Amino acid sequence: MLRIEGLSRYFGGLQALADVDYSVEGEGVYGLIGPNGSGKTTLFNIVTGLYRPSAGRVTFEGEDISRRGPHRIVAMGIARTFQTPRIYARMTVRENLRAAQHTLARDVRLAGAGERIDALLEATGLADRRDELAKNLPLPEQRRLELARALAREPKLLLLDEPAGGMTPTETHEMARLIEEVAAPGRACIVIEHKMDMIAQLCADVCVLNFGAKIAEGAPDDVLNDPVVLEAYIGRNAGAA
Amino acid sequence: MIEFIQNTVDGIMIGSRYSLLAIGFTLIFGIMRRLNLSYGPSIMLGVFIGTFLFVQYQAGWLAVAAATLLGAVLAGIYVERLCFWAIRQGAALASMVSSFAIWMQLEELTTLVFPDRTYPFPPLTSAQPFEVAGINIQSTYLIMFGCAVAIMGALSFMLYRTRFGLALRAVAENPLAARFMGVGTGRVTFLAFVLASAIGGIAGYLIAANEQQVTPLFGLWATFKGMIAMMLGGMGSVPGAILGGFVLGVVESQATWYLGTSFRDIAAYGLLFAVLVLRPGGLLGQRRAERERLALRRV
Amino acid sequence: MDEYTIQVLSNIGMFSFLALSAYLLLMTGEISFGQQAFFAIGAYASGIVTAMWGWGLGLGILCGALVAAAAAFLLAWPTLRLRGLYFAIGTLAFAEMVRLLFEIFSYQIEIDGELVGPNGSDGFRGVRYVFENDISNFQYMLLIYGLLAAVLAGFFLIGRSRLGAIFRMLGEDELLAEMQGVNRTFYKVLATVLAGFIAGIGGALYIHLNTYVEPKIFNVMLGVHSLAYGLIGGLGTSLGPLLGVAIDIGLLESIRIFTGYRMIVFGGLVAVLLIVRPRGLLDEEVIYWLKYRMRRPLARTARRQADAAPSEAGDAQD
Repeated sequence: MLRIEGLSRYFGGLQALADVDYSVEGEGVYGLIGPNGSGKTTLFNIVTGLYRPSAGRVTFEGEDISRRGPHRIVAMGIARTFQTPRIYARMTVRENLRAAQHTLARDVRLAGAGERIDALLEATGLADRRDELAKNLPLPEQRRLELARALAREPKLLLLDEPAGGMTPTETHEMARLIEEVAAPGRACIVIEHKMDMIAQLCADVCVLNFGAKIAEGAPDDVLNDPVVLEAYIGRNAGAA
Repeated sequence: MIEFIQNTVDGIMIGSRYSLLAIGFTLIFGIMRRLNLSYGPSIMLGVFIGTFLFVQYQAGWLAVAAATLLGAVLAGIYVERLCFWAIRQGAALASMVSSFAIWMQLEELTTLVFPDRTYPFPPLTSAQPFEVAGINIQSTYLIMFGCAVAIMGALSFMLYRTRFGLALRAVAENPLAARFMGVGTGRVTFLAFVLASAIGGIAGYLIAANEQQVTPLFGLWATFKGMIAMMLGGMGSVPGAILGGFVLGVVESQATWYLGTSFRDIAAYGLLFAVLVLRPGGLLGQRRAERERLALRRV
Repeated sequence: MDEYTIQVLSNIGMFSFLALSAYLLLMTGEISFGQQAFFAIGAYASGIVTAMWGWGLGLGILCGALVAAAAAFLLAWPTLRLRGLYFAIGTLAFAEMVRLLFEIFSYQIEIDGELVGPNGSDGFRGVRYVFENDISNFQYMLLIYGLLAAVLAGFFLIGRSRLGAIFRMLGEDELLAEMQGVNRTFYKVLATVLAGFIAGIGGALYIHLNTYVEPKIFNVMLGVHSLAYGLIGGLGTSLGPLLGVAIDIGLLESIRIFTGYRMIVFGGLVAVLLIVRPRGLLDEEVIYWLKYRMRRPLARTARRQADAAPSEAGDAQD
């Protein structure tokens, strides 16, 4: 579905991504982890068309999207959330979900779009907040709103950037459940996270970046115990303590 | 060819006025990320207070200069408190429109107290223009040029060698982070505004003394020349403000010579438009990411 | 209705077009200090058409608006990549260039032995269609408000439509809107052209009522004013800019006691207002409160009544 080949990206003198190869095929939840600054969000930004690659290629469903603008990439069936929730602050919850659907093709839009919104509101527990202004929601609810609006277009590929950032363990657990039960079925999800238990629980495959380069990929148990990965996160004395 | 060079020299000399105006403008913008549309009018208030002293009490140039400075600073404080400090962080547009409202206030106040079309202002110097290698140079403009360079030097020193300068740069870069580092952002912003107004006051004095007269049109003129020069050189950059002022001056004098006075301002705005479209960061360009951060102000 | 009131109302009406023009762009998140350029272009174009080519008023207004829209289309492209304050200053530069060009623009033809047409800084005089055709001030005011009502109807329809939602999405968070499939280029250009069209109507109406314009009228003061109207009246509804115009022109006229101090008082009032209500009187929160909070008590009452009334159909089901 998604294939990234030799992706590199420079910002001035800083290399944010270094020759990364990564691909995602089929349904399921995939993890993308790495210390801060390792290029995870940059990767998302390139896939969704916010940045152009300095080198390399991104292909989605066989088409090269490396140089495409965000609105066209989104139309192909990719959706994302952001590290700090980006929602339309001065619109209501319901209007936020509705907004995501405005640019769908006419027949898709008119066929059951309203029901989809209601179903999503139910599933994410926001049904009784539907007429509330988005900016009045507390953080966990804003993150759920972000998830709901990302799902409103029924994307094939969903990119979640730290969906549990800033949440308590209970809230994190709830978000993991939402991802597993509501988001994952029927699509591929790539999740950036720092919460390893969440990654271990959700993901079948985990990719690790460090300083822009891929240093490991595989099943969570293997990756999370890999000394190379541990060193990247904790430092040289990983094994010694 | 000689005309071209003369025009260029004239342009740089005239441009030093714009540079002086632009420095204050860019300081405010660099800190607050908002346009202060009252900048010219608040300087104008100071200049008119200076003229008042001159006309009523035949005050000497030092007293007039001090009064101009003080007037500009007081007006600047008024604007800062009402339009910028009092309005909450995110409402940048409200601040700008508020500064516009105060612009109208200051203009009317000035025309009420000083109803005539023009008032005399003490001259800068009675020295005659002199020639160097066939190029005419006016000593008043030389003084302004010197002042602009001196102010830039002083500012550079302040910005890069003092604690206050460090605090200023911190707030300009990232106000929130600065606050977390213990920088009193409110106080720093206020002082920056005072500084900018003081520089504006100096600029106003020098310009009025050069013209030897003041008119109520000064406010609007000063704001726009300052803004154009600032944009040409790059928002928030002090060396950019100086360069922008010179470039503006040169473009104006060349345009006036080759196309006529009616095209002078068209050329200035055309240049501004061209710079915006082709190189929004200004001639001394800003890093793209920073530029985007600057520009993505929410209404 | 006395002549004075008609004049005030007419002015309020005409400047409302300008305010709505700036407001439309504000909805899509762009600050424009330059809509007065399209007001000017609409005035000059429609004046040329009626006073020099002898066409009718309706056609004249339409031409004015279309030429203004075309000019807006041209402006849209170079400014497309500009964001935020850069866009604002760009529009300002553009508007000043337009004004300065009108200061040197001259196009005159001889009609009945007289020279008619725009003549640089003298302006454009002799646009006498309204008087040559015996249209009273009152009738003209009705024309103004008729067209204004049409424009407001347009705003209302757009507001409830997909287009309006997309404009608001761009205004709230442009990046997010793009991430949801909104083609920024298309909608920005569309908004710019529509805004130009609206301002053009206003300009055309203005020149025909006053019979003349001078380039210096279309200065930055006018531009910032038109933006300020929306900000004062409120950004939550298209009636907000109108409220702003009414407050400025209406209040300005009525504060006769303050003659000579009007700007000082008004400027101070605006500054204070913006501290308390940075998005104007009728801002989004007020509108939201009106829409949702007011409706709920009504709905609750209706439900209670429905519950209380015995239902024959219901009783029968046992």
